[in-house]
Amino acid sequence: MKKRYKGFLAGAILAAAALLLVLAVSSAGPREIVLEFGMFTGSNWEVANANSFVIIDEAIRRFEAEHPGVKIHYYSGVRKEDYSEWFSRKILSGEVPDVFMVLGTDFNQFTSLGIIKNLESLMARDQDFDSGKYFSSALAIGQYENTQYALPYETVPTLMFVNKTLLMKENIEIPDQDWSWDELYHICSRVTRDLNGDGLIDQFGIYNYDWTDAVYSNGVELFGEKGTESSFSNTEVADAVKFVCQLNELNQGQKVEQDDFNGGNVAFMPLTFAEYRTYKTYPYKIKRYANFQWDCITMPAGPQGGNSSRVGALLMGISANTKHEKLAWEFLKLLTYDEAIQTDIYRYSQGASVLKDVTQSEEMERIVQKDMEEGDTVISGNLLGRVIEEGHIEPQFKKYEQAMSLADSEIRSILENGKSIDSSLKILQRTVNDYLKQ
Amino acid sequence: MDNGKERYVVTFQGALLAVNFLAVAFISIVIYSTSELIRSHYDARVFLDSVETIPVNPRKNLIICMVLMALLAVSFITRQMGRMLPGWWNIASLALDFGLCIAIIYCLDFNYNGLLLLVFAYTIAYSKDRKLRLLFVVMAISGYLVADYSVLSINMPLYNFSDYVHYYSSTTQQYLLSAYNIMNSLSIILFIVYCIYVINVQRGTIEEVNMLYREIQKANEQLQEYADMSERMAQTRERNRLAREIHDTLGHTLTGIAMGIDACLALIDSNPELTKAQLGKLSDVSREGIRDIRRSVNELRPDALERLSLEVAVRKMITDMSQMSDVQIFFETDEQCLKFDEDEENAIYRVIQESITNAVRHGEAKKIWISMKKEEGEICLVIRDNGKGCKDMKSGFGTKHIKERIEMLQGTVAFDGRNGFTVTARIPIRWGENYD
Repeated sequence: MKKRYKGFLAGAILAAAALLLVLAVSSAGPREIVLEFGMFTGSNWEVANANSFVIIDEAIRRFEAEHPGVKIHYYSGVRKEDYSEWFSRKILSGEVPDVFMVLGTDFNQFTSLGIIKNLESLMARDQDFDSGKYFSSALAIGQYENTQYALPYETVPTLMFVNKTLLMKENIEIPDQDWSWDELYHICSRVTRDLNGDGLIDQFGIYNYDWTDAVYSNGVELFGEKGTESSFSNTEVADAVKFVCQLNELNQGQKVEQDDFNGGNVAFMPLTFAEYRTYKTYPYKIKRYANFQWDCITMPAGPQGGNSSRVGALLMGISANTKHEKLAWEFLKLLTYDEAIQTDIYRYSQGASVLKDVTQSEEMERIVQKDMEEGDTVISGNLLGRVIEEGHIEPQFKKYEQAMSLADSEIRSILENGKSIDSSLKILQRTVNDYLKQ
Repeated sequence: MDNGKERYVVTFQGALLAVNFLAVAFISIVIYSTSELIRSHYDARVFLDSVETIPVNPRKNLIICMVLMALLAVSFITRQMGRMLPGWWNIASLALDFGLCIAIIYCLDFNYNGLLLLVFAYTIAYSKDRKLRLLFVVMAISGYLVADYSVLSINMPLYNFSDYVHYYSSTTQQYLLSAYNIMNSLSIILFIVYCIYVINVQRGTIEEVNMLYREIQKANEQLQEYADMSERMAQTRERNRLAREIHDTLGHTLTGIAMGIDACLALIDSNPELTKAQLGKLSDVSREGIRDIRRSVNELRPDALERLSLEVAVRKMITDMSQMSDVQIFFETDEQCLKFDEDEENAIYRVIQESITNAVRHGEAKKIWISMKKEEGEICLVIRDNGKGCKDMKSGFGTKHIKERIEMLQGTVAFDGRNGFTVTARIPIRWGENYD
C-alpha cells in the first residue's frame, strides 16, 4: 500500500509541475493590456513627409483616453524600405503586432500565409460600421479572394499633370474631365517640336506615360479573377501598347528626361495625388516646377474604357493571432473609419482620405487650399472622389508582383526595340500564363 | 508473458519513445533556430515568399512540444510502475498519450506523425481488453494515414519542415534532411521490429498453452488406460484365487467323496458294515468340505457383510459414500430383519454399491433413493437418482455386473434412464432354506 501511494504521489507531483510550467509559459505577461502597432516612418507615396507620427499619435491619444488600462505601443524609426523585412522578421518570431500597416507588395503574400485576420465577421458584428462609407475601390484593395482582410487608411489616385503655362503659350485649352486618347495624341503632336532650331526636339507632349496607364484607361483587366491566367493578347491591351508606341514615335527617338519636365518643356505627366500635394505646397514647390503654372486633371480615356487610373492605398490589418481582437478592431476602426482622423490625413499626410464624405467635403478643399498660393486652384473634392471611385486597383493574388514585373520588362523591350506588338503580346501571354500556372 | 520478454517489450517502447523524442526535438529546434538565423541574416521577407505558411511562434512551439514530450515520458514511466497504480491507470494513460501525440503532431503541423506509431506500439502491448485494443489500433492507424503532411497540405495551409531546411546551403541541407530521414526511418523500423517481436511473443504464449493442454490430454488418456488395466488385472487375480480355492477345497473334497462312493459301491454287497462306516466317513468329509467352502466364501465376502448385518452394512456404506461425496442418499426398507443367505446378501449389497457408484460417476446425481420391499416372496430393490440419466441405454456402463449378479439368483432387473436413472431388481429369496 505504501508503494502504491508513493507512485501516486510521484505521478501527481510530476503532472502538477508540468501544468505549472505550461501555465507559466502561456501567461507570462504584464497585467496592463498593451496593443502593439506596426508602422513605418515617412510616406507610403515616395514623397517627403515630416508629419508621419502626428495622425497616429493623435489616434493613440484618443484611443487610450477612451480605453483606460490599454496602452498602444509602436516601434518608431522603421523606414518604409525596411518595413517589409522588419515585419517579416516579426512574423518569423511570432511577434506580429496586433494592428499594423501592410505594404501593397506584401499584402497578398502575408494574407496567404495566414498572418492577417479575416475582418468579415468583425465588420458584420459591428453595428456602427458601414463599409459603404469607404470608396469601393479603396476597400477592394484590402480584399483577398473576395474577403476583406485589411482596411484602407489612406488612398492615392493617379492624376494627369498639366503644364498650364505651356498649353496657354501654344493656344491650347486645358482638356476637360472626360477627355480621350485622341485629344491627348492631338495635343502632344501639336506641342512636340524644336523650339531653338538646333534640329533636336526640345518641347515634348508627355513624359512618363506608361503602358499600364494606357491599359487601365482602356477598360481591360490584365489578369483573371483568381490570378491563374492573363489577357495580354486582348485587342484592348494591344491598342494601349500601340497608343504608347505612337506617343513615343512623336519624339523621333529622343528620350524625354525629368529635367525637360522640370524645365517646363513637357505638357503632360501622370503623377500621384501624393506628389500633387507635395509639390503644390511649400516648401517643396520651390524645388520643382517653380517657373510655370500647373494643375491636375483625369487621365485620358481609351476607346474601350473610361478616365480611370491606378489607385493605391495604404492598408492596415489585424494580426490573425491577436489576443485582443476587439481592441484591435476598435483601433483599426479609429484609424480608418473615424472622420476626424481621416480629415487629419489632408492636414498631415499627402494621400487622400478613404472615406467618401471626408474627401468630398469643403473642409478638405479648405485644408488643401491653406497650403497653396492664392492663385492656385484646388483640385475639387468631386473630381478627386470620382478619380478614386473609378480608379483601377491592382489585383490581389500571390504571384501578381512577379507576373507584372515579367510583363513590364517584356513590353518595355517591345516598345524600345520596335517588335511586332500583336505577336509579341501573344507570346507574352503564354509566358505569363505558364508562370501563373506553376 | 514472462518477465524477460516483458522487459524486452518495455526496452523497445523506451527506444521508440527516445527516437520520437529526438525527432520531435530535432524538427522543432531546426525550425526555431532557422527562424532565428533568417532573422539575424535579414532574409525574412525573401524566405516568406518561399513558404506556404509558418508556425505562429516557433519558440513557443518548441517549448510546448518539449513539455508535451516530457509528459509523454512521465506517462510512460508511471505505466512501468504499473503494479503500484490502479488498473484503470493503464487505459487512462494510453488515452492521455493519444491526446498528447495528437497535440504534438498538431503543433508540428503534421510534419512528423511517427508519434502515432508510438501510441500504436503501446496499445498492442498494454491493453488486455480486446475491444479496447482494437479501438486504439484503429484510431492510431487511421490517424497515421490521415495525419500525413502530403495529404493534409493539399487543403490546409501547413508549414513545411523542408522549407526551413532549404534555407541552408546544399551540404547542410543534405545533412539536415538525412538526419530527419534517418530518425523517421528509425522510428518506423523500430516499430516494425517491435510489432514482430510482440506478435511472436503473444503467439509463442498461445502455442505453449496449446502444447501443455495436449500433454495433459495424453496423460489423462494414459491414466484411464492404467485404471482399466489394473481393474482387469484385479479381476484376473480374483478369478485365479477363486479357481485355486475351488480346486483346493471343493475339488479335493469332491474327488475324495467320489472315490469313497466308488469304494462303497464295491463294498455294499459284500460288507455292508464296512460300507456304513465308509459312508460315515464320507459324510464327515462332506461336512468338512461344506465348512471349507463356507470358509472360502467367507473370505470372498465384503468386509462389512462379514461382520455386520446387511442393513447395517448398507447404512454404513451409505454414510461412507455421503461423507466421501456431496450426494444425499435415502434408504428405506420395511423388512424388520434383513437376514438372507450370504450369496443373496452379497448380491444385494453389491447391486446397491454398484448403482450408487454409477449414479455418482455417470449420472452426476445429487440425490439417491434406495428402497427394499418384500413383494410376493420376492425382494424388490429400487435404486433411483436425480442425475442426468441415460437416454440411450447401452450395455456396459456398470449395468452388466448388476445383471450378472441378479441373474445368478434367478432374479430380474430393469433399467430406466429417462428421468434420472432407476434400477429395479426383483430377487426370489430362498426364505427359510438352510444349509446347516
